[in-house]
Amino acid sequence: MDTLARIKDMAAKEFSIDPAGLDPAAPLDSLGIDSLSFIEFMFKVEEEFGVSVSDEDLRSIKTLADLERHVGAALAASGKS
Amino acid sequence: MSRRRVAVTGAGVVSPLGSSLREFHGALAEARSGIRRLPDELVQKAGVQVAGVVDWNPAPLLTPAECTNLDRVTQFAIAAADQALRASGLDLKATNPDRVGVYWGTGMGGATTLETSYERVYGKNDWRSRPLTVVMAMNNAAGSNVAVRYGLRGPFANFSTACSSSAMALGEAMRTIQSGRAQAIVAGGAEALLVPGTLSAWFALRTLAPADAGNAAASCKPFDKRRAGLVLGEGAAAFVLEDEEHARARGAHIHGFLTGYGNTCDAVHMSRPDRDGQIRALRDALEDSAVEASAVGYINAHGTATIVGDVAESEAISAVFGEGAVRVSSTKSMHGHLLGGAGALEFAAALLALEQGIVPPTAWLDEPDPACRIRHVASKAERIEPPQAVMSNSFAFGGSNVVLVAERA
Repeated sequence: MDTLARIKDMAAKEFSIDPAGLDPAAPLDSLGIDSLSFIEFMFKVEEEFGVSVSDEDLRSIKTLADLERHVGAALAASGKS
Repeated sequence: MSRRRVAVTGAGVVSPLGSSLREFHGALAEARSGIRRLPDELVQKAGVQVAGVVDWNPAPLLTPAECTNLDRVTQFAIAAADQALRASGLDLKATNPDRVGVYWGTGMGGATTLETSYERVYGKNDWRSRPLTVVMAMNNAAGSNVAVRYGLRGPFANFSTACSSSAMALGEAMRTIQSGRAQAIVAGGAEALLVPGTLSAWFALRTLAPADAGNAAASCKPFDKRRAGLVLGEGAAAFVLEDEEHARARGAHIHGFLTGYGNTCDAVHMSRPDRDGQIRALRDALEDSAVEASAVGYINAHGTATIVGDVAESEAISAVFGEGAVRVSSTKSMHGHLLGGAGALEFAAALLALEQGIVPPTAWLDEPDPACRIRHVASKAERIEPPQAVMSNSFAFGGSNVVLVAERA
């Protein structure tokens, strides 16, 4: 499973959203994901992938696709991808 | 102006004796115990052998995803509150949410979350904590989650006075409704502390009973000569307390009225109970309710089964009511000591006597301690005419004493 699919899968479980209707480009708040919930979710994503997203990067993350991009970059930088 | 009367219009229970008011009352009436041996690993680590454990199934109320982000104590709280609200028939859509509050009590709060967090940082030297640690572990998380889930925007309070926490929540909720500042309040308490670090701290106090050699379920023996200390328990109880006028206007079933609240502090010692502080709380509660002592047909004692505590309470009760004048039992013999949740759960036990005239017993009380000169309801429930009033005692570490009086509807 690619990174985005895994993140989508995790988000669907965490927020009880139907994965079929989960648009990675949709703003997080439109998915009913508030900032606290997202920080908790991102923590789990970091654990799952063994990477760390900086506070600076966090501020630019507005969608799941944004998150995937940062996770992907971190994986590439660490040689894990 | 006379004070508003406060009706109990709904009750919910999550307990070692079942997770509904009906199951809880059924077990009390049959003197069944929910106390059992803890898993070997926990016994070896923490030293504690027995506890009142909840067979917890959060479904269908809470999804697995929700449970991941709610401490066990909060799950209990939501479940008890949900039962109470449903049972009350209170239509939250037809009620001004600004006039419905939550008053909650808990001693240890989100103990599981806190321990999990500490295990990670100290045990595994992994200093990345879960972002939800604070909001899951904080002491007001249980009550606040109840408010959020049901949109209850009125007065909110959270009490943390160890073993009297939830009794205080009920008493203070009563005051708030009496003063007209809320029409209804979801009041109760919860505790979920059966985790290794917390258990080991309790074990260190040398106040816990070991497992009974023949029957682990019989390990907690309040007022008995053989008593060996308290047994911890977990769970929650919640009530919908409501302005009588509001309850009557909507035709709600009224279990009884919460009419008396005594609150005193021993101001003597952190853990040793003081008879005089208890006597003042008992008298204050009676005076507050304005019922005669003789109208009280049953007292649910604090009765933790410690050597010193049961004698002090027996003396306090005798000083106020006269020796052997009123039926007394400690239902902790069956559900264990829920600490912050104890007052609320035991108020639910007292309602069984008030509403149905079924007086729950002190289980396993075969050899009453002659130093506890009270009228025991020993080993088996008694059936009596529903009394005019019942009482519930909660005496806490820190010297906080809370006594509640409820009257028949």
